[in-house]
Amino acid sequence: MVLEATMICIDNSEWMRNGDYAPSRFQAQADAVNLICGAKTQSNPENTVGILTMAGKGVRVLVTPTSDLGKILACMHGLEIGGEMNLASGIQVAQLALKHRQNKKQQQRIIVFCGSPIKHEKKLIEMIGRKLKKNSVALDIINFGEQDDGKIEKLEALLAAVNNNDTSHIVHVPTGSSALSDVLINTPIFTGDGEGGSGFAAAAAAAAAGGLSGFDFGVDPNLDPELALALRVSMEEERARQEAAAKKATEEAAKQEKGEGQPSGTQDAMMTERANVATSEVDNKANDLMDDENALLQQALAMSMDDPDSGHETRDTDMSDAAADDPELALALQLSVQDGTKDSSSQSDLSKLLADQSFVSSILASLPGVDPNDPSVKNLLDSIQSQTESQQKNEEKEPKEDEK
Amino acid sequence: MSGDSASAIQRSQVDLVDFIDWSGVECLNQSTSHSLPNALKQGYREDDGLNLESDADEQLLIYIPFTQVIKLHSLLIKGPEEEGPKTVKLYSNKENMGFGNVNDFPPSDTAVLSPDSLKGKPIVLKYVKFQNVRSLTIFIEDNHSGSDITKVQKIALFGTTVETTDMKGLKKIEDH
Repeated sequence: MVLEATMICIDNSEWMRNGDYAPSRFQAQADAVNLICGAKTQSNPENTVGILTMAGKGVRVLVTPTSDLGKILACMHGLEIGGEMNLASGIQVAQLALKHRQNKKQQQRIIVFCGSPIKHEKKLIEMIGRKLKKNSVALDIINFGEQDDGKIEKLEALLAAVNNNDTSHIVHVPTGSSALSDVLINTPIFTGDGEGGSGFAAAAAAAAAGGLSGFDFGVDPNLDPELALALRVSMEEERARQEAAAKKATEEAAKQEKGEGQPSGTQDAMMTERANVATSEVDNKANDLMDDENALLQQALAMSMDDPDSGHETRDTDMSDAAADDPELALALQLSVQDGTKDSSSQSDLSKLLADQSFVSSILASLPGVDPNDPSVKNLLDSIQSQTESQQKNEEKEPKEDEK
Repeated sequence: MSGDSASAIQRSQVDLVDFIDWSGVECLNQSTSHSLPNALKQGYREDDGLNLESDADEQLLIYIPFTQVIKLHSLLIKGPEEEGPKTVKLYSNKENMGFGNVNDFPPSDTAVLSPDSLKGKPIVLKYVKFQNVRSLTIFIEDNHSGSDITKVQKIALFGTTVETTDMKGLKKIEDH
């Protein structure tokens, strides 16, 4: 939150036509300037920023230090590229502009974009640096674009001459995929001498760093905390459910190998089918059904119809045998029993579904080994149907009797 | 002569350090480790080991505002024989001066310090020029040895205050 007056020196020389920084060096520079202006004015509302160009016909001040961001951005339009950059004059004019700032309490800072070769001697550059230091003006140098021999040396010498207590910085931006602005965001030029950064800089950095992937679900927790929280919770729920289903599936496979608990296996098969996991399990079951087809199927259906509890008991006995062998398996079985108890409430639904002729036949049709047209299967289904009908009749009778 | 000046100090002049407005004190081209309070503040300035030193070159520009209007009588600068200041220019009531505009207007007074003065002898100034001083700018142009660093051990100002109202002393008059 340092109160600062900043002058930004833009390089609009011929070298800025080059496209090695997307889309062009000049455009990348303009974007960076816009970002800097925003960051400065946000970190302290009384900060002022001014802009001047160093190339073209000569050094020209576009806007004197002002806190009006709109004015600053407007003057960035219609800038022409041409000529050669005059670093010495540019910095001196910037210093003069800062000297005549309205609020004398502001700290003075110059930000220089240096993208073309420097034609001045190193001694002259150093002298300018010392003069800046004497007048307590800080300097930030952004070195990009042309890298001729001696340029880096001159800029480092300039920084050494100006630097007073680490208030001045230099940033070298190599050509590459990342934009000039992105590289600058993480530098002290934006984060302001290790204060911890303004909120603007931090947010911009977060957004730029991973596109939107910086945030888990493409939603900024700062902007919309409830939505972010809801997304996170639902993700975790889904993950937990899938884990439980996966555990059941593995438990199924384990029981499959032992070759026991067939009826429960079919039962579970139907349930897991509805849970949309591993129809391959059903295929495994179907293969075994081939062996003891009708008897087992009958047993399974009978169990699901008559007494849900007995089904569990049989399962329990089966499972206790298995559990003795393998503690891991025991754990898995335990979990599945818990799931099973949960599902007992859905047993009645299950029986209703089974009563539905079409549903049963569709299931049987999906089981590869079972042929619905098999007469024994048909008989079985008819018997079930009649059973359910009698059950329904009984239920109807009872209320009638109650009414009476 | 020196006797007169010494007695003049004893007679009516006070050390103006109490009237310096510390929030506005500034010094350009000072070294960060050797800063202005070393030469100006009550305890520090007595310590000859604590100096005000210049940084980039030998010049120093010191701006001292006062809490009330004063008349400045004399100035005392103490420094080492070699790196102590030589030419000192004083500007009265000029705010926000920079090294660029020190030559734009004539100083209220100029003092050339001899090695003798550097030992701590007060220099009498042109009293008539400093009758109504709100702020003082001291421009140290060069030093004796010509080196790049100027060192100052102590700066003291002597004068009197003008009879300005002390607002804290104002009390409401009771109606009889």
